[in-house]
Amino acid sequence: MKIVVCIKQVPATNDAKIDPETKRIIREGMKAILNPFDTYAVEEGVQLRDKFGGEVIALSMGPPKAEASLREAISVGVDRAILLSDRAFGGSDTWATSYALAKAIKKIGDIDLVICGKQAIDGDTAQVGPGIAAHLDWLQATYVMAVEEISSSSIRVKRMHEDGYDICEMSFPAVITVVKDINTPRVPSLKGRLASNKCEVPVWKPGDIGADTSKIGLNGSPTRVVKTQPPPPRHTSTKKIEGSSIECAQSLLRELRLRSIV
Amino acid sequence: MIHHIQNKIYHVEVLPPKQDSEKLEKDLERFSNKYLRVMDSGYCACITDNAMGLLSFQGTEIIEELDLPVIPEQVMIHLNTFHTKDDLDNILNICKTKGIRYLLIITGDGSERLPKLHPSDVGATDVESVTSVELLKYINREYPDTFVLGVAFNPYEPEEHELEKMERKIKAGATFIITQPLIERNEIVDRLLEKYPGIPVIVEAWMSRKLHLLSEAVGYEIPENTEFDPISTLKMLHKLYPGCGVYLSLLGFKTQYHLIKDTWV
Repeated sequence: MKIVVCIKQVPATNDAKIDPETKRIIREGMKAILNPFDTYAVEEGVQLRDKFGGEVIALSMGPPKAEASLREAISVGVDRAILLSDRAFGGSDTWATSYALAKAIKKIGDIDLVICGKQAIDGDTAQVGPGIAAHLDWLQATYVMAVEEISSSSIRVKRMHEDGYDICEMSFPAVITVVKDINTPRVPSLKGRLASNKCEVPVWKPGDIGADTSKIGLNGSPTRVVKTQPPPPRHTSTKKIEGSSIECAQSLLRELRLRSIV
Repeated sequence: MIHHIQNKIYHVEVLPPKQDSEKLEKDLERFSNKYLRVMDSGYCACITDNAMGLLSFQGTEIIEELDLPVIPEQVMIHLNTFHTKDDLDNILNICKTKGIRYLLIITGDGSERLPKLHPSDVGATDVESVTSVELLKYINREYPDTFVLGVAFNPYEPEEHELEKMERKIKAGATFIITQPLIERNEIVDRLLEKYPGIPVIVEAWMSRKLHLLSEAVGYEIPENTEFDPISTLKMLHKLYPGCGVYLSLLGFKTQYHLIKDTWV
């Protein structure tokens, strides 16, 4: 099996600052991490490779420092990694990003399965995985909580949705986006981390993947962010519960029941 | 552990490099230097396990990777419940192979990236989540007579609750106790000592000048303008708790290490 896992480096904060002019996140000087949802995608790719053999490749698009997240993926078992990085990619929205990633997947070639996290915690759009499938014209299943079965030509997955779950079967090649329930991502080992530091991460530019430059970056992005503003503050209040341990526990339980929390 | 107290062996906390370190090789070298310095001093190096839920490398894997010497009386590994079963057994097996005997078993702090042991992982059928008690039982059952197991005591939690928990920890096989950091006499610790006269207790001395970090760590509010000299406080703790060992947290290796030599008299 040849698997590509698409990952994104995101700001390690809930307090992201927005550029008032471009309406985009100011990433300079911000600590960055591997998108938490993508750690489940990486783990699933590694587990499937371990079970069925083959290769798992991490792919990301971003500034040069995004290489750190690709190395993190290597440190937990990914075989190799590729970074799409060039000024021409800058400002890409989800449509342009998924176009570039799809072009890179085509260039890698012979891919059976693409795995993405359900969404990135910075944009929260959940559009890139489906976008890749659309650009490649491959079958897709989003919000996958379990891979039920894999044969040489197809995959059966369990999809989570509001009212329960679906079981979907798709022929390869396919794209899936995964949710947290799918696995428990491993924590990188020291050995893995040291080995990942020695790996080479090739950087591909638009020309390397045969991308049409009118379809990437700001020019290739149909999305226009007109206004951004933080959500209104929540109105909270604090209630102090006093008494003995038992009385406090009873009062707390009563309060929680009144609010239908338990 | 009583041997540590009788021979005035300090327990010196050594923090392993964080997973997100951008200068890992340098941080490993720094860790190695601190560890070897503690060994040379005859003290006990205590290596934390993802303290405060911050992802760090495991002490056991660093010792193995850097081929650091293990003097059984001089190494203690913290072990919490935020691991997969495979990781847990891997850590315990490395400890066994390397001759690391002292383990501080704690429930620990979780984080988004840290997996949590399931009750079934440690053969616990009567609980909904794994705490230090279940972990102690598991280690004693699966690795009999291999380790000397200690537990933490938090005098900043409600006393009745904390002492009841301690009773369960002792019954589960804990043979020594390390307190949360003290900066003065603590009546709850005094009562702990009265309750368990036969169990070695090690009081933790807060060696950082940044008292607000202690407030954050244990939820114990200390007025902002409190005067605090770690070395004087350490000497005071020896006087207040002469029968106890001392664990030095956040010790400054450059600025304080050379000063602790003459503090335990």
